[in-house]
Amino acid sequence: MTNQPLADNPNTSGQEWDPKILVFACQYCTYAGADLAGLSRLQYPTTTRVIRVPCSGRTNPQFVIRAFQKGFDGVLVAGCHPGDCHFATGNYFTRRRYLLMTRLMEFVGMDPRRFRVCWISGSEGPKFQQVVTELTDAIRPLGPNQKLRDIEPSVIGGISR
Amino acid sequence: MRKIAKTRIDDVLRALAPRYDLYVPVEGATTMRTPTATLWQEGLENASRFRLYEEGLPLYWRTNTGLSPKDLFFPQTEKMYTAISQGKTVEIKEESTNAWPIILFGVRSCDIASIDCMDRVFLQKGYEDTYYKNRRQRTLIFALGCSTHEDTCFCTSMGIDPKASPTADVQISDLGDAFGFTAQSPSGQQILASIDSLMSDAYTAQPVSPDPMLINVNLEGVTEKLETMFDHPLWDELSPRCIGCGTCTFLCPTCYCFDINHKSPTHAHIVKQRSWDSCMFVDYTCMAGGHNPRPSKTERVRNRFLDKLLYNRQRHGRVFCVGCGRCVSKCPVSLEIATVIQKIQAAEVTP
Amino acid sequence: MNENIIQVPDKSGISKIMREIAGDLLRQQTISLVIGWEKGILPNKSAPAFITQSQDAEKLIFDEYCYHNLTKYLLQRKGSGLKTAIFVKGCDSRSLVGLIQDNQIAREDICIIGISCPGLMEERNIVIPAKKCEICYTSVPVEYDFLIDCPETKTANDEPGGSYAHRELPRVENMTLDQRNIYWQKMFENCIRCYACRNTCPVCSCKECCFDQANPTWLGKGNSTSDNGFYHLVRAMHVAGRCVGCGECERVCPMNLPVMLLNNKLSLSIEELFDEPPASLSLDVTATLNHFKPDDPEEFM
Repeated sequence: MTNQPLADNPNTSGQEWDPKILVFACQYCTYAGADLAGLSRLQYPTTTRVIRVPCSGRTNPQFVIRAFQKGFDGVLVAGCHPGDCHFATGNYFTRRRYLLMTRLMEFVGMDPRRFRVCWISGSEGPKFQQVVTELTDAIRPLGPNQKLRDIEPSVIGGISR
Repeated sequence: MRKIAKTRIDDVLRALAPRYDLYVPVEGATTMRTPTATLWQEGLENASRFRLYEEGLPLYWRTNTGLSPKDLFFPQTEKMYTAISQGKTVEIKEESTNAWPIILFGVRSCDIASIDCMDRVFLQKGYEDTYYKNRRQRTLIFALGCSTHEDTCFCTSMGIDPKASPTADVQISDLGDAFGFTAQSPSGQQILASIDSLMSDAYTAQPVSPDPMLINVNLEGVTEKLETMFDHPLWDELSPRCIGCGTCTFLCPTCYCFDINHKSPTHAHIVKQRSWDSCMFVDYTCMAGGHNPRPSKTERVRNRFLDKLLYNRQRHGRVFCVGCGRCVSKCPVSLEIATVIQKIQAAEVTP
Repeated sequence: MNENIIQVPDKSGISKIMREIAGDLLRQQTISLVIGWEKGILPNKSAPAFITQSQDAEKLIFDEYCYHNLTKYLLQRKGSGLKTAIFVKGCDSRSLVGLIQDNQIAREDICIIGISCPGLMEERNIVIPAKKCEICYTSVPVEYDFLIDCPETKTANDEPGGSYAHRELPRVENMTLDQRNIYWQKMFENCIRCYACRNTCPVCSCKECCFDQANPTWLGKGNSTSDNGFYHLVRAMHVAGRCVGCGECERVCPMNLPVMLLNNKLSLSIEELFDEPPASLSLDVTATLNHFKPDDPEEFM
């Protein structure tokens, strides 16, 4: 992992800029899928960070908002396919919650291309590669995310000249 | 006294704006009762408050503003300094100060009294708060006498004259169709002289008087009575109604508590800032070890009203309520200071 | 149950019946506290009242300014084992059902005195109907032990989606993504984070809120547009599927912000996505996010 601070302003000039993506990967499926992608030497954007969660149902919506606050340009929440959850029903709850969450984020003006939820099983290494690549490619033309982002503590209501 | 027609008040503001940071009261959705979205689309405010003057802002002259001007001197969140680490060194960057003069235009007597309260806390207690002082000492105050009042106003009960503020630099009086200007300090005189050509004489005009206020409380003896009421059952009776939000403290023009905290926008930066805190919040008195000396609402409610009416009188020489009526109008459950003073007056104390 | 429904000729008769019921309950000593409303400091203001003595029951009133949802106060009595009587309007009764469903209070510990609501007025106003009444779904309480039935009860808004008739919802939905972002930025910028919306919300029943937690610190004391946005979005998600649309959050906002709009958007989405009735209409229906169906809409393949 790089030591580069996550909230540093990325260089937006030219083509060098790659969006930073945060993946919440469920331990039993998506994390294994990401592992398989690595083992299979599948190339995917190096600006992807993965956080392992015990179940996609563990991914509290506030994690997602926090990620955008701290400067991520895109967030992916990924877990087992419905029916395959290690805990039997966890991802069904994830599905309900994130069906709402995607609508809420869109309602407050967040570009839907920046936030994705996807089912990726342990055997779907290529799908993991494909999803994060697609997400990165979709976000690149949008530029760094500024919405909800905590750039500098601002002085609210104060006198500044 | 010199006067200018109310319709031409913009001329005065236009003349002052280039030379000063001119803060004027602007309309808000609360006072206009218009859907919020319409206001925002037109760049207007959601609650009436003080804003830097710009051509075309809808000005609000009727009563005191929904938000007090305290955030101009004491912002809700204020940057203090930034620490930037570079290798093994840390650079501390102080916030820059400046000397550009500010005019606070059209402040009501209640809010001017509250500025006096804040001065006592931040300037007159043996130390001076540099952040507060920097803004306060370059501010000139143009007081505006009230010709009407909100139904929640009760400044007269607090010994404040809604028509006059002797400590202001300039007193503006409502003469019906005109505003009358009277200088009350040398700097006020200077400013008025510079815009004198816009105004005409008003020797005989009398300021319009507001109707008697709807809320009347008797402050007499409250402080003395409270000295004996620390363990009074009144607090148990009042506190269940409180929902523990910070509305009263954040809207109160004399509440001055703050919390110092920091943010790290990057791993190499720390921004030290101070933000308003509220004694109604559970974590206000919470200590590092987890102990909370004010564990329940009873203690917190008691503290707030003792602070306003007793402790500050002892510490700073005056009751820290100016009767602006903001808590009366906005407390979600009507547990506001006017009601509480009435209940204190009615409470039985066993000697 | 019928002997427990008391008819009153018009809304001015409600207060008298309230006092009678409350007085009786306190005299019988089955109930140790009655939570209702009393007159406030101004003629067009009312305030929550806590009555423990039968002679104090005379203080109780019901008028157009009794907008407070009192059910959150029941959490103060949680675990005390004492019985409480509480007055509820239609909207309040739903949040009471929500609290019972969330196991915050036990049904047998409370005596619910319902009032079929004749409609409320905006705070300190004599002409404008209260905003919360625009999104009214049921003016007659859904759960009660006693019901004070008033013929002037307003017709509730029971057509689909009608209960989310926040006057801003269609307007904001029709904006472009960037316009919406500016709209919400403006709201977050103006929020002073007094937490009145959270503290008054009857379904925010956590003992310690995640925003108050010191470790981990989700939110510090500092006020910034981004942190305020975090607060409002997380709050909306926390009450999603349980929000009963009582409108208290928006009523109490000292900054006049459209706080309820986020909740209404989510309630509307729930109705569209999961085909479920509005939250907490009866004790037997589980909150939307507390259960699932295997054939829920699938968008994440």
